[in-house]
Amino acid sequence: MSRHALSVLVENNPGVLARVSVLFARRSFNIDHLVVGPTEDPKVSRMTIVLNVGDEQLHKVTSQLDKLIEVIHIEELSDPAAIRDQLWAINDNGPRPVGAMAAAWA
Amino acid sequence: MTAQPTNAAPARTAAVPSTTTGADALVDALLAVGAEHIFGLPGGAVLPLYDALYARPELRHFLVRHEQGAGHAAQGYAAASGKVGVCLATSGPGATNLVTPLADANMDSVPMVAITGNVPSTAIGSDAFQEADIRSITMPVTKHSFLVTDPALIAPTVASAFRLAASGRPGPVLVDVSKDALVARTARTPLADLELPGYRPVLEPAAPAVRDAVSLMTSSRRPVLYVGGGAIRSGAHRELFELAETTGLPVVTTLMARGAFPDSHPQHLGMPGMHGTVAAVAALQKSDLIIALGARFDDRVTGARDSFAPHATVIHADIDPAEIGKVRDVEVALLGDLRPTIAALVAEFRRQVEVGASPDYAEWVTFCQGTKARYPLSYDAAPDGQVAPQQVIQRIGQIAGPEAVYASGVGQHQMWAAHYLGFENPRTWINSGGLGTMGYAVPAAMGAKVGRPDATVWAIDGDGCFQMTNQELATCSVEGIPIKVAIINNGTLGMVRQWQTLFYNERYSNTGLRGTPSRPEVRAPIHVPDFVMLARSYGCEALRCTDPADIDKTIEAAMAIDDVPVVVDFQVHQDAMVWPMVASGTSNDDIKYARDLAPHFDEDD
Repeated sequence: MSRHALSVLVENNPGVLARVSVLFARRSFNIDHLVVGPTEDPKVSRMTIVLNVGDEQLHKVTSQLDKLIEVIHIEELSDPAAIRDQLWAINDNGPRPVGAMAAAWA
Repeated sequence: MTAQPTNAAPARTAAVPSTTTGADALVDALLAVGAEHIFGLPGGAVLPLYDALYARPELRHFLVRHEQGAGHAAQGYAAASGKVGVCLATSGPGATNLVTPLADANMDSVPMVAITGNVPSTAIGSDAFQEADIRSITMPVTKHSFLVTDPALIAPTVASAFRLAASGRPGPVLVDVSKDALVARTARTPLADLELPGYRPVLEPAAPAVRDAVSLMTSSRRPVLYVGGGAIRSGAHRELFELAETTGLPVVTTLMARGAFPDSHPQHLGMPGMHGTVAAVAALQKSDLIIALGARFDDRVTGARDSFAPHATVIHADIDPAEIGKVRDVEVALLGDLRPTIAALVAEFRRQVEVGASPDYAEWVTFCQGTKARYPLSYDAAPDGQVAPQQVIQRIGQIAGPEAVYASGVGQHQMWAAHYLGFENPRTWINSGGLGTMGYAVPAAMGAKVGRPDATVWAIDGDGCFQMTNQELATCSVEGIPIKVAIINNGTLGMVRQWQTLFYNERYSNTGLRGTPSRPEVRAPIHVPDFVMLARSYGCEALRCTDPADIDKTIEAAMAIDDVPVVVDFQVHQDAMVWPMVASGTSNDDIKYARDLAPHFDEDD
């Protein structure tokens, strides 16, 4: 088990967050942190998902996520600094818990 | 990707108004994507849609008696014809009654589109009368689910739903439309799909993977072709036949793949799994290479996973990347549609043999053939004067023949049907494999008959299953769908009873459909309902068979009736069990050929 961060681009549709969380619940994957924010494209949102899983599980998570029609792209963020930067970027003018999450990667 | 028109705009004439209602746009879209038949039941939220259907007889609607029947009929239609099945229901309970068929279609990769009405968008979220959030409810049991509240998006959503249902790994797609969107007027525009930037099914396998796979095949000594339902859905039966004949390898076909490869073919070892043939189970267990073709290593196939095929490496061909490695680690993944994938394997196998590969499977083939010869499917005769259920099913298969289409419910009769009907053709075996939905047979047979009107369609059903969905016989009578139903009537929930016999010390808790004699407050035995009277009340012809000597003439009498539905009540003996069997949670190595009878594998044979 180790901590992984996924950057997931999704269509900015109503219900897409429910769809992702239903998938995690159904396949028994636990989410440690989840942040959803806009991107420069109003039709696309970015979900940053942090989870504590083994490599094999991670592969299963991403392949199941990728099956969702509204998931456009998945990338594993390998560099903790990049993750922190991204979380801080989301945190700009955002709620404090995101800052706490970013700080956790410091 | 941008939205591309998928068909030409209708010619504009003065007679065609430039706007249309959402309901008419929906019907137009269904016709434009090729839908011809639809199974449904109206209600308040879909009244505008039914009003539009009233004027469009070219889209034939079948009025079911329960929405679950509409869903399974759409599944049977799709499974028998290869086309997308369509069902329609109203909001709230109408929609929730579709959940079981949707979950079933999702498990078995059946291309199907379910259309539901919802309350007006202004009322959504207010707990309005007959409101249910069906889009969310169906999220985990569909390939995708849409909620449409904008009339302009109805047609593109329907077009996209059809594309999603039929392409990639097929599956069910729900389109929920609010009532106000059905009523509102919208511009008549050329049909275009929605933009779905996240949907990119991979169709052709990568050439290096094909080479690696075939190198493994030619260098292995004990490979087996493990064929799943993907072979049926992708229409890969001809390619599969060629691969089997080219390689000479043994073939096993899962419950979902029965008919993908002829049962009469000498290389065919039958069905693997919990109730598989000894030969098929042994071939997987003892193989050194499993070539999985559109199969997903279901727990009913693998038994206890840690002891499944312990010496085998795996080549896994599937169109769904999430299936590869889900259960079993793979050596080579072949991602793509099975039809071109198998064709590529055949070509590459020939090429490698031409340039010098010399696969040697002789010893292995001899072993598999030996197991097949030594442990054929067999069943015990019924006690004196009683009817053996296996014999009924076997004779139906022989008399109706391999061109007929067979639907089944779930339980003992399903397993016997899978073994004894005898399949030679794809799309002739329609059952609920993954979800195991009792009550599937009658409505699925109804849908299959609509999809294949020229074929004889038999439902092989249990008396427990039959009582869940037999109301669709009314639909069959009224709409002119002459299916045939064989009720394998043993008065009990037979498969559960079999487990109670084997694993619960014959404590038959609530499996007796004729009552439980040990409970004085229950009247037993009591034969209700009378299936013959019930069937006749639905306008069906009805026959009864209680004597083994009458089996053939009863089946022949049923075959002679082709203008109305016919129901046959075969009263069979209650203690018949399904064998072989691997007990739940145990290793496939512990398969029992019959009760307390383990097969013996002498590999020197």
